[in-house]
Amino acid sequence: MDIYVCLKRASWMVDNTRMRTASNFQWLLSTFILLYLMNQVNSQKKGTPHDLKCVTNNLQVWDCYWKAPSGTGRGIDYEVCIENRSHSCYQLEKTNIKIPALSHGDYEITINSLHDFGSSTSKFTLNEQNVSLIPDTPEILNLSADFSTSTLHLKWNDRGSVFPHHSNVIWEIKILRKESMELVKLVTYNTTLNGKDTLHHWSWASDMPLECAIHFVEIRCYIDNLHFSGHKEWSDWSPVKNISWMPDSQTKVFPQDKVILVGSDITFCCVSQEKVLSALIGHTNCPLIHLDGENVAIKIHNISVSASSGTNVVFTTEDNIFGTVIFAGYPPDTPQQLNCETHDLKEILCSWNPGRATALVGPRATSYTLLESFSGKYVRFKRAEAPTNESYQLFFQMLPNQEIYNFTLNAHNPLGRSESTILVNITEKDNLIDHYYLEPVFELKRQPNFVLLLQGIRAVPSKGPDTWREWSSDGKNLIIYWKPLPINEANGKILSYNVSCSSDEETQSLSEIPDPQHKAEIQLDKNDYIISVVAKNSVGSSPPSKIASMEIPNDDLKIEQVVGMGKGILLTWHYDPNMTCDYVIKWCNSSRSEPCLMDWRKVPSNSTETVIESDQFRPGVRYNFFLYGCRNQGYQLLRSMIGYIEELAPTVAPNFTVEDTSADSILVKWEDIPVEELRGFLRGYLFYFGKGERDTSKMRVLESGRSDIKVKNITDISQKTLRIADLQGKTSYHLVLRAYTDGGVGPEKSMYVVTKENSVGLIIAILIPVAVAVIVGVVTSILCYRKREWIKETFYPDIPNPENCKALQFQKSVCEGSSGLKTLEMNPCTPNNVEVLETRSAFPKIEDTEIISPIAERPEDRSDAEPENHVVVSYCPPIIEEEIPNPAADEAGGTAQVIYIDVQSMYQPQAKPEEEQENDPVGGAGYKPQMHLLINSTMEDIAAEEDLEKTVGYRPQANVNTWNLVSPDSPRSIDSNSEIVSFGSPCSINSRQFLIPPKDEDSPESNGGGWSFTNFFQNKPND
Amino acid sequence: MKVLAAGVVPLLLVLHWKHGAGSPLPITPVNATCAIRHPCHNNLMNQIRSQLAQLNGSANALFILYYTAQGEPFPNNLDKLCGPNVTDFPPFHANGTEKAKLVELYRIVVYLGTSLGNITRDQKILNPSALSLHSKLNATADILRGLLSNVLCRLCSKYHVGHVDVTYGPDTSGKDVFQKKKLGCQLLGKYKETIAVLAQAF
Repeated sequence: MDIYVCLKRASWMVDNTRMRTASNFQWLLSTFILLYLMNQVNSQKKGTPHDLKCVTNNLQVWDCYWKAPSGTGRGIDYEVCIENRSHSCYQLEKTNIKIPALSHGDYEITINSLHDFGSSTSKFTLNEQNVSLIPDTPEILNLSADFSTSTLHLKWNDRGSVFPHHSNVIWEIKILRKESMELVKLVTYNTTLNGKDTLHHWSWASDMPLECAIHFVEIRCYIDNLHFSGHKEWSDWSPVKNISWMPDSQTKVFPQDKVILVGSDITFCCVSQEKVLSALIGHTNCPLIHLDGENVAIKIHNISVSASSGTNVVFTTEDNIFGTVIFAGYPPDTPQQLNCETHDLKEILCSWNPGRATALVGPRATSYTLLESFSGKYVRFKRAEAPTNESYQLFFQMLPNQEIYNFTLNAHNPLGRSESTILVNITEKDNLIDHYYLEPVFELKRQPNFVLLLQGIRAVPSKGPDTWREWSSDGKNLIIYWKPLPINEANGKILSYNVSCSSDEETQSLSEIPDPQHKAEIQLDKNDYIISVVAKNSVGSSPPSKIASMEIPNDDLKIEQVVGMGKGILLTWHYDPNMTCDYVIKWCNSSRSEPCLMDWRKVPSNSTETVIESDQFRPGVRYNFFLYGCRNQGYQLLRSMIGYIEELAPTVAPNFTVEDTSADSILVKWEDIPVEELRGFLRGYLFYFGKGERDTSKMRVLESGRSDIKVKNITDISQKTLRIADLQGKTSYHLVLRAYTDGGVGPEKSMYVVTKENSVGLIIAILIPVAVAVIVGVVTSILCYRKREWIKETFYPDIPNPENCKALQFQKSVCEGSSGLKTLEMNPCTPNNVEVLETRSAFPKIEDTEIISPIAERPEDRSDAEPENHVVVSYCPPIIEEEIPNPAADEAGGTAQVIYIDVQSMYQPQAKPEEEQENDPVGGAGYKPQMHLLINSTMEDIAAEEDLEKTVGYRPQANVNTWNLVSPDSPRSIDSNSEIVSFGSPCSINSRQFLIPPKDEDSPESNGGGWSFTNFFQNKPND
Repeated sequence: MKVLAAGVVPLLLVLHWKHGAGSPLPITPVNATCAIRHPCHNNLMNQIRSQLAQLNGSANALFILYYTAQGEPFPNNLDKLCGPNVTDFPPFHANGTEKAKLVELYRIVVYLGTSLGNITRDQKILNPSALSLHSKLNATADILRGLLSNVLCRLCSKYHVGHVDVTYGPDTSGKDVFQKKKLGCQLLGKYKETIAVLAQAF
């Protein structure tokens, strides 16, 4: 079963495939045949004129063209026949024909081409519906630019004379910007063709100043003719025209000095040859939009209102700032409360309120013109140069025999215009006060909407004026102030005010005070008075405004500080149920003298806060604010505040002087800054100081964050002195003092001060090196002393062993037996032992000499292994050389005659043997010179050997007469001829002792017990 | 009459333009003698010193008032907007003789006087409500006038100098508002810097 199913499925699949293959084949075949047939038809067509098309650009002439038969070269003649009411044929040598426009209906067009290979004929059916209307390419006649308004003006001709019918034309104008031709604007502009050539103008205001980039303009058109049933197409674009500004070498910013409406969008650009780094509007950074070259632009949305000097827009380059000023303001408001009156029937005085401020001043301020329409006469409002509390009013000369005046007040500024109208009748006369009030018939506000307002029905003022009082500075007079009534409460022109004061005992009334005056002064005692003020118009008096003269004292008052927010100052207080009538906040400029009053405001007794706003507030000006609570008995001052609407940086630096200078400190004292120049609450001082000379250091250096500039921030504003310590003596310091408020840091005042010289420091500067030198010397000495062994070994090595010294080899027999050798028996002095090891050899050996105490050493010496070879000579050093020739006397004296100064040093001959022999007083007996070298002279040696046999005992090695008093470490003698004195002091050549001349006994230098440099190393006890 | 107008008016214009061509203008004719209407004070130099000190004392405040009134970003970009880059400002050499210094001072005061006049005019239009600035500008111009008179007196009486070539500050009337602000600021910066040197040199 399974096998059957499988076979059946397989056979079905094969059949299915066969069937699909066969159907595909049939489809391909039919397609091929169709293509072949189409090709044949096309080939046949191409052999004849084909693709006939007709267009028209003026609806009067059709331009028909076709394609020539394929395979034919040039030189074909065509015969074109049009089957209309009259059969007409045209002989042509080109593939187009201009024929008069055909009326509605089908027309058979036969084109017969005659060429070398024969002829072919094509037939077409032509209908207007197959004709296309393509207008001629328009041409811009003129493109101009008004750079001041950034407006492009375009002029072109519509060539309407060629069209038989009136047609609607749609013009499409394309504005492109920059070298890259970015599309900025594509607008359509509709006109009508009226059978005549007409010039058209079109203007376009660019959002970007035209100086910023090149602008291109193109135009095309579309003719919408209702009578034409064919295809209507757009013309080609006209040749492009452009507008560009030729920049000079200077960088410039556009637009310049433009006045725009607050809230507008505006684009600024900087045309520059150098790279622009940033752009600012005010102090806000703006992203740059790059234009051609180095030109850049910024776009500002919803621009805010400008200050009077405008809004600065600047572009910063590497080393300069370029900018422009924009004035963002408002168009003039509709003049409000336009009111006209006359006092003398000669002049009409019209006054008005300008309404919302335009924020435009100077040449951009609103100008007003008062036009009387019946007479056509007008007067212009001339603005004062520096308006302060400017009143807007104009005088108009009355005209004879004219009773009704129709005044129109026109307001105009660069952003727009507005107007108000008033119709007045002068016939009414108020005899009572000899004052003419021109009754306003109606007032028209024509802009923005024509609103008809009926102004004031005459009645008494509805309420009394807002009143306040102040005591004069001497406390004797009470000054009463009141505010003019608003027009809706005045009910006509207020003519005068009546002021009276009443107490329990009397009532005092002042004379009538005419309207422009809003202040009166009454002399009062300190009793309680109630002051009442009444406003009067031509109809009657207002209800009185009353205010108590008494001021309830308040001893618990502290002066507080307040700072405004935006344009106002917020004042808050606690609710006080005792206050039964309105709170009063009054304020004044703190620099003004008493009584100080700028304005006041009354706030209902249930309020606990209010925002004080005034056009008179100026940033950086200090104002006093006083909050009064009102009770039945009078007003009580609750709070006293000083404040600023906005704090600014001080305009001056504090004056400071140097009170005292010392070697390491400077005492600086400064003065307070006047309040007018402080422009904010003083928060502290910044004191900079650093080393600096007057000519080299600039003040700006202090701000550059140099590390050697120190800054002290003095936040205690009561502090008026500062001592700068830890300074260097005799150094110039640059001192700078600046004050700061929350509004910023003020300018700086600088001073250069030189500190005094530091004498203690100078002494220390001298003493320290001396002390150091001494310490170094002492330490060196100690070290040398401690290391003397090493130094001795290093610099003064041991003298060779005297046992090997042949010069000291004495004959034993001579030492022992001869009585003539008494010279060397020196008792009772403490002799030194010179142990001489003698060997009778032919040549004397140089041996070291050992100095031994005879008492201690002698027994040992004598027990040496070779006693016969040792001769221990005990002797006292001779003191007086004159005694040397008389040894007997020496012996009788019994004192040491020879002083040995230990010298371990050099072994060098210093005495001439000949001289020694010549000067030898003993004549060869006694001591024999230790130096007897073989190397010197063999003849001398022989003589010495003979002498040695003859003489026993000590003999000075040198002539004492030639000795000099020179210390051993002193320089060589002046007498350079004397070889003997060259060593400086007589000494035993081989011994370690100086031989001191008798005359120098007292000299410590020549004394064996004295100090010498060599002793320093050598003179060690028991050494 | 027409002939007269046709002949004389152009001649007057030419004569007028010849003088106002921007080159240094002689205060008095070249060969003019030094004539003073009123006798000079004895302590002229003290007065000159005092006036210079007075100007020096108020120069910084005037500078600050000015750049503050111009709005941002002037106060924060003083180096680029208010740097003393006045190219044609008359030079001053503090180490010269008194006569040379007085002549240079004269030139500087004339230059500053005209410049301050331009600045005052521009600011009255641009900042009509900046009364303190106007008042300081006027006060400075007044002192400069007095100083100029004293310097001239001194030059005449002691050195018999009746002719000093001077240059005037740049005319800002045709410039855009930003240029006016910037030029004014640069000039007041230069004034502040120069007056300090002058006050020290005399």
